[in-house]
Formats: sequence, C-alpha cells, structure tokens
Amino acid sequence: MADVIHLRERFFSMLKKDLIFRNPLRAMGSEDHDPNEEILPVGGFGAVLARAGLGKTSLLVQLALDGLLRGRNVLHVSLADPVRKVCLWYEEVFRNIAAQYRIQQMEQMWETILPHRLIMTFGKGGFSVPKLEERLSDLAEQDIFLPKIMLIDGLAFESDDIAGTLSELKALAAAYGLHVWFAVRTHRDDPPGPDGMPATVGRVADFFDVAFQLKPDGSSILVQPLKGTTKDADRSDLILDPSTMLIRDLAATQSA
Amino acid sequence: MRDFFIPEKTVLDRDRRFSEKGVKKKMISNKNVRNIGISAHIDSGKTTLTERVLFYTKRIHAIHDVKGKDGVGATMDSMELERERGITIASAATFCEWNGHEINIIDTPGHVDFTIEVERALRVLDGAVLVLCAVGGVQSQSITVDQQMKRYRVPRIAFINKCDRSGANPFRVVKQLKEKLGHNAVAMQIPIGLEADFKGVVDLISMKALFFEGDNGEIVREAEIPETLLDEARERREELVDAASLFSDELTEAILEEADISEAMIADAVKKGALAREITPVFMGSAYKNKGVQPLLDGVVQFLPSPDEVKNFALEMTDQEKEVALTSDPADRLVSLAFKLEDGPYGQLTYVRVYQGTLAKGDTIYNVRTGKKVKVGRLVRMHANQMEEIETVPAGFIGAMFGIDCASGDTFVHQGMELTMTSMYVPEPVISLAIVPKDNKAQINMSKALNRFTKEDPTLRTYVNDETNETIISGMGELHLEVYLERMRREYNADVDTGMPQVAYRETITQLAEFNYIHKKQTGGAGQFGRVGGYMEPTAEADFIFENKVVGGAIPTQFIPACEKGFRNCLPKGPKLGFPVANVKVVINDGSSHSVDSSEMAFQAAARGAFLEGYNKAKPVILEPIMKVTVETPTEFQGAVMGTLNQRRGIILGTQDEGPMCVIEAEVPLSDMFGYSTVLRSSTQGKAQFTMEFSAYKQVPKSIAEELIKKAAEGKKHVA
Repeated sequence: MADVIHLRERFFSMLKKDLIFRNPLRAMGSEDHDPNEEILPVGGFGAVLARAGLGKTSLLVQLALDGLLRGRNVLHVSLADPVRKVCLWYEEVFRNIAAQYRIQQMEQMWETILPHRLIMTFGKGGFSVPKLEERLSDLAEQDIFLPKIMLIDGLAFESDDIAGTLSELKALAAAYGLHVWFAVRTHRDDPPGPDGMPATVGRVADFFDVAFQLKPDGSSILVQPLKGTTKDADRSDLILDPSTMLIRDLAATQSA
Repeated sequence: MRDFFIPEKTVLDRDRRFSEKGVKKKMISNKNVRNIGISAHIDSGKTTLTERVLFYTKRIHAIHDVKGKDGVGATMDSMELERERGITIASAATFCEWNGHEINIIDTPGHVDFTIEVERALRVLDGAVLVLCAVGGVQSQSITVDQQMKRYRVPRIAFINKCDRSGANPFRVVKQLKEKLGHNAVAMQIPIGLEADFKGVVDLISMKALFFEGDNGEIVREAEIPETLLDEARERREELVDAASLFSDELTEAILEEADISEAMIADAVKKGALAREITPVFMGSAYKNKGVQPLLDGVVQFLPSPDEVKNFALEMTDQEKEVALTSDPADRLVSLAFKLEDGPYGQLTYVRVYQGTLAKGDTIYNVRTGKKVKVGRLVRMHANQMEEIETVPAGFIGAMFGIDCASGDTFVHQGMELTMTSMYVPEPVISLAIVPKDNKAQINMSKALNRFTKEDPTLRTYVNDETNETIISGMGELHLEVYLERMRREYNADVDTGMPQVAYRETITQLAEFNYIHKKQTGGAGQFGRVGGYMEPTAEADFIFENKVVGGAIPTQFIPACEKGFRNCLPKGPKLGFPVANVKVVINDGSSHSVDSSEMAFQAAARGAFLEGYNKAKPVILEPIMKVTVETPTEFQGAVMGTLNQRRGIILGTQDEGPMCVIEAEVPLSDMFGYSTVLRSSTQGKAQFTMEFSAYKQVPKSIAEELIKKAAEGKKHVA
C-alpha cells in the first residue's frame, strides 16, 4: 500500500505546485521574484493597507494560504477577531480558491494544510510583544509549532508607541526567522505622504520592506504597490474581485 | 430506586386548584406562568441557585448545599449519584410560586456529555436563566448552552453568581456576554461591594439599594443607594435606559422630551427587548451567600415570557409536515410533548409539557408516533423527588403522567389529530463500550435498566454484538456512559464488567472503481445466475446512494430492488475492517440474467460480490470521529495544555488570550481523548477545564490504520 500513499501525496504536491504557479500573488513580489520563495526577506515586514471593509483580512488570508500551500507554517495573530471567526475566513477564502481553480478534492487538500496553521488571538489591550514571544517560545520548546510566516491583523498603528512595538517585533522576527505581514487600517482622511504612504504608517514606513494599498476603483478594488516592488507604483497589475474577495491578475483577465 | 414522597395535605391543596372543574373555577392564568430552565457551565452554582429559589418561594424549608456538610445535598440533585458527585445529571422538574406567578423550573445539567438533557429542557421552556460565574465568566460550556438556546429561540436573562468570590468582576462578565456570546447584555443592577465585601445590589430601575437580611437572606431591605455608588448607578441606569429605548417609542419620547421616566416604562421596554431576544437583562448576586436571588425571581416574572407570549408550532403529519400554530388555549384540543422519562416505584413517570388544550386524568389521548391510544392514569407535579397529585395540566404547564408507555420526544394529542411537535435534534453517538453482566440476576436487571435508559435518553444506544455476544452501549462521551453504568449499579443492582471504550470508526472509499461480477452456481437443482456491472464512487451527500442506470433490461426490473438490497446488506460491516461503510454511491449500468436461473437471491448475491470487487479497488480507508476540544486554562499552563493536545494527535486550531485565562481550540481524535480529564487536571493543578463535541469523521493516519488492522486480526483469531 506504500506506493498508493505516495501517489496520493504526489498528486496533492502537484496540485499545490499548480496552485502556487497560478497564484496571482506572485505578482506582488519584484520582477525577478521566485514564486517558490517568500516575497519578504527573512525578518522582513510587509503591509497591506486599506480602509475598513475593503478586504485586508481576505488578502492576508490569501497570503497565508499561499504560504501554507508551499508547506510553510503560518501563525495568524488576530487582535480583533476570535479564533472561530478567523477560521471562517480561511474556510471561506479556501472554498473560493477551490471553486475558482476547480479543485475536486478540496477536503483532502484542506486536511493537508490545516496542521500548518495556528491562530492566536488576543483580547483588546491584551496584546504585547513579550507576551507573543512567550507564546512562541512555549510552542517552540515543546516542538508544537514553529512558524515561518506570521500575520498580524488589528495592530493599532495610530497608537503613540507603535514604533516601539514594531521594533520589538522586528527583533522577534529576526530571532525566529519570520516573514511578517501586517494588515493596516487607514482612514479616508489619511493624507498620503511624499512616498505615497498614508500618514498612519508614514512615520513607521522604514520598518516595512513591502507595502500594498487596497484602493477602490469603480466596482473593483485595486492592489496598488506602494513600496518594495520594482513595479510602477501608478500601475496596478492586481485587483481584488469584490464578489469572491480573491486576488486576480488584471493583465491576465484582460488578455483572456 | 428513587423514593417518592407524597405529602397528603398538599395533595388536597393541589386537587382543589387543579380539579377538573377547577380549570374554570380557580386556576392560575397562563399569563402568570413561567416555564424556565436554569442553564450554565458546570460548577457555576446553578443547583445552589435553584435551592435558594425553592427556599424563598417556600417550596422547601431548609437549605442543603451541594457537597454540603449535612450530607443531605441540594434538593434538586435528587439522584444519589448526583449528590455524591456534586453535579446535576437528570433535569429534575419542579415548580414554585412567586408574587402570584407559578414558575416551573427545569434544572439542567452542566456537563457537555449530557447536552441532550439541556436540549430537551430548552425545547419545552419559554425562557431561561443563564447562570454565569462572576470569576470564571463566560466559559466554553456557557457558549455551547447559549448556542442551544439560540437554536430553540429561548429568551434569556443572565445571573452573575458568586459575586462574593475573590476575583469576582461582574462587569467583565457583562462585557464577555457581549463580546463572546454576542448578547446585548444590559446590567439591571450594580453590586454593592464585591468579593468578601459583597453586601447587596442596587436596582437600576427603582434606583434603590437592596440588602438581604435574616438567617438565610430572606428579608429584603430596601434602602437609599450608598453615596459612593450614586454616580456609577446613574451612569449604568442611563446605559440601561438607552438600550431599552430601542424597544419603546414611549420611552424614547420621554427621553427626548426630558420627561419623567417611570419604572414601568423601562421594565416594559426591557421585556420587549428580552422577548425579541435582543436584550439580555443581567442580574447579580451570590446564591451561596443568599444575596440577589429574590430580585432575580422578580426578573424572571417581569422579563421572561408567559406561555401565551411564545409562539409554538406543531407539524401536521397529514399535510407534508406543514407548520401549524398552536393556540395555548386550555379549552382547545390537546397537543403535548413527553420530554423526559423517569423510572419510579410506581412505574414509568413521563414528564409532559402541554402546549394546547388540557391534559386531564382519565382522558384517552393519542401517541402520534406509535398511533396508540392511551388512558391517562395518575397525573402529578414534580418537585425534585417529591410529587403532588393533580387532576389536570392545562396548556402552558408542565406535569408528569404515570403508567404511560412511551419514548422521550413523543407527542400526545387529542384523538383524531395528527400533529407532532418538532423532533428534537439528536446527535449520533461517538463512543461505545462492551458490557458483560456479572451474573444471571445482573443480566436481567441490566436489560431492564438499558430498556429504561434508552427510552429516557435518545443519545444512548444499545445493541448486542453478534460475534462476541457482548452488549454494547454507545453514547456521547466517556462520562456519559460512566454515569449510566453507575446508575445501572445503584438503581438496578446490575453489576457489569466493562471492556475498553471503543470509538465508532467507519469505512469509506476514496476513488471511483468499477465492478462486473457474475454470480453463478450450478450444483444440482435450480441454478443461480446474475451479473451486476457498474461503478462505485465516494459521495459526501449521504451515507449510501444507489442509482440504477441499467437500460434495455440487461437486469430485469424486478431484480433491481434485490441488487440494491444486496449492496445495502454490505454496509453495516465494511469489507476492510468490519466498520460501517459510509459515503458511498453505487451506480449499476450493466448486467445479465438467465431466464430460469436468475432470482432475487441470485442478484442479491451478485450485488454482494460486486460490492466486494469494487470496494477493494476503490481504495478503502478507515475514518475516525474527530472532536472539537476547547480547553480553558490559566495562561501560565497554556504551553503545557497545548503539549497534552499535541501528544494526542491534536491539531491546535488556535489560542484565545483573555487576560488571566486562555482558551485553546483544537481538533483531536476521540480515540486519543480517553482519560484526558485526569491528564488535564494533573498538568494544570486542576485549574483548567475542557469540553468536547463531535466535529467530523476524518481518515485515520496510516500507522493507526495498521494498528486497527492488527487488532481486528487478533480479534478474529480470538473469536475463532
């Protein structure tokens, strides 16, 4: 029976590779970005900026699923939603991806990636970097979970001490070799700085290697590169499909 | 056996009130009835609270605590076993009177293994009190219970108990009610002092301080609000009025016009919100210290609905189960639901809730499920382990009948009606245990006990394994089965030996496979011939689907049902390891027959052969039940708890940090959860607790599958 299992694994591995290859997220990296590698460097920070309700969490979850398909352990830290709600996000986005790419064996595929994800939520005001570090070291010491990608959703960027928090996180990311993505909530009246970054993150922009902004454009939402890609900041290759909240390659859609 | 005590004097009293003619003469109106449940997390003090309620409503004359030193135990914990364990297992129904209102209380168990009891109680209740611990707050079981209440659309009020305990913080619990359960929780009171200084409460509607005096807090003294609490009380009252104003134009107008806001105005608005399940009024106190219980009773009367205010529906059996609204008129035709059975010295006691009409002694009623007519003998009202004889149970009331043979969940109606109350959600059992009686006497008693228990509790199933001849009982968890075994010993004197708990494994296929099987037998006499061709494939839609795509009479039409039967017969015992087969679709599209030798038997045999042929090619796998496990632990043990779950093949879905406590959610195979409570206790100094519920069936890993195959082979050898 060993060969049977092997074939089954090979099937899923091929399916995953195909999904990674077809994933429009690879366009978020620089021109010479290898789709099998991370968009961010080790210890690097990436940001997805948007106003409330535009799809930050959905994009973050897609980044997470991309990592999970590549076999990376993903730690999703939510400072806003309970575990159950974050789980629902993943299930919903994965279901949409499965439908879009017509994956027949969605359940089995889900089972193979689930062990690579861990959600950690903190109640309002309950989050601190030392606490997160304590949890991470707990997980690592017992060999339960060693994340490679960390997503942080709901961090208060308007707080006075944000620079301090980010520099602590930077040290943590370096120590654990993490690639860290943040969802950053901006405001309608947030004026863009000279580098195009909204004021909310402008003062801490140096921490970030890559930044994207979700911008409504008629009936679709553009994924506009702000920092860290070689692409033209005025040109957006990617859009978030408002019906599925999945990212789509605009050029590919148009040529199709 | 439970001893029922019949107080003679009370019998007469009850007879007067509920005599047949009394329905017209003197009867408490439906409007003054409240059918409530008290639901909560284990150990949040609901049994103590019920005890106090009974004391203040003069149903009992002394207070006995759960695990009390006097060894009497709380009144509602009527079973010996419950007293010993300090937990409530069966829902004891009781009633009491408060300010001219009759309150029927179902005390519900708190452990998740007994949720069928909770579900049943909620099915027949019009409102509920959700008891929460002022220290522990909204715990995982409270979430489960709350979901159940939502399912049955039960309006509720909350009681934050144990305000006298160190670490009590009722407003943190109010916040948790909002954040974790999504309730629009509104404090109706604020505490006067907390922890050891807890003295009483401030009523935010009347703006009076309430103190509880006398030996047992039976005297409620009203006083002015202490100066130090005045600002907080005003602020909280404003919040209350704000929340209530959404449900009353009159109140909104009064606020806008800055007119006087009367107490009745606020109370009416809160009631409207509570009935719509859009406000959860929150009361506070300490049942153990006899504080805050009487205002809670006022709250039950004021904010929970009477049977008249709840819309109940039955299903019309003769009209495609169309919903029919019930009237709650005692003069209408009877519709009632048997929601609980108990065994007593006078025979089976059936708890019944009457939704429409009146159930009267001597009436002939009709069991919709069995189609049988039964005559109502004795009718009683239960008060924990005492009872009072009555003549009638009118709509909206709860009573109990003697000597009626029925199952839990049966609907009794007036003859000629075909209505059934919505069937209750009954989950499938996930764990089994082999039991062998120690002697002949135990064998007889065990049968009696199981017969009773399975009627009482639909989540408990029992059958005899043909191969081992052992009796197998299946249920919802280890504790669930354990409690029934103990009840068997104590109540029925049936001593049994038990095997290791067995997980309910299943088998399924993972890919499409074709079959083409010929059954041919010619050994003298009439021969047998049948050929069945087609394919089988996995399906998520049902446990088994059979589709006939045979064209041109390749298999004569009269033999198609035999083919289906042949396939179906293979399902209870899967070819791989003998576990039930699930999620398989069989399509037959070809075959052949013989004009003389083909028969139903031949095609059944051909289908069995075809199933075996296809099944082995379709990559069969074993599935095991996966439980969703939620552990609540102080944060310092988070790592240790995750370690214990990890060791049990658990996938940790997430951790939720909530100040000093942390909730860990994981998916763990049931087979690895045996004995987990002991492990959890020892690794967290007894400070963590867990709940689990069935999540899904998933494929077992290869190593476990091999172990199971080995075990099955050994078992076969043993049987041989």
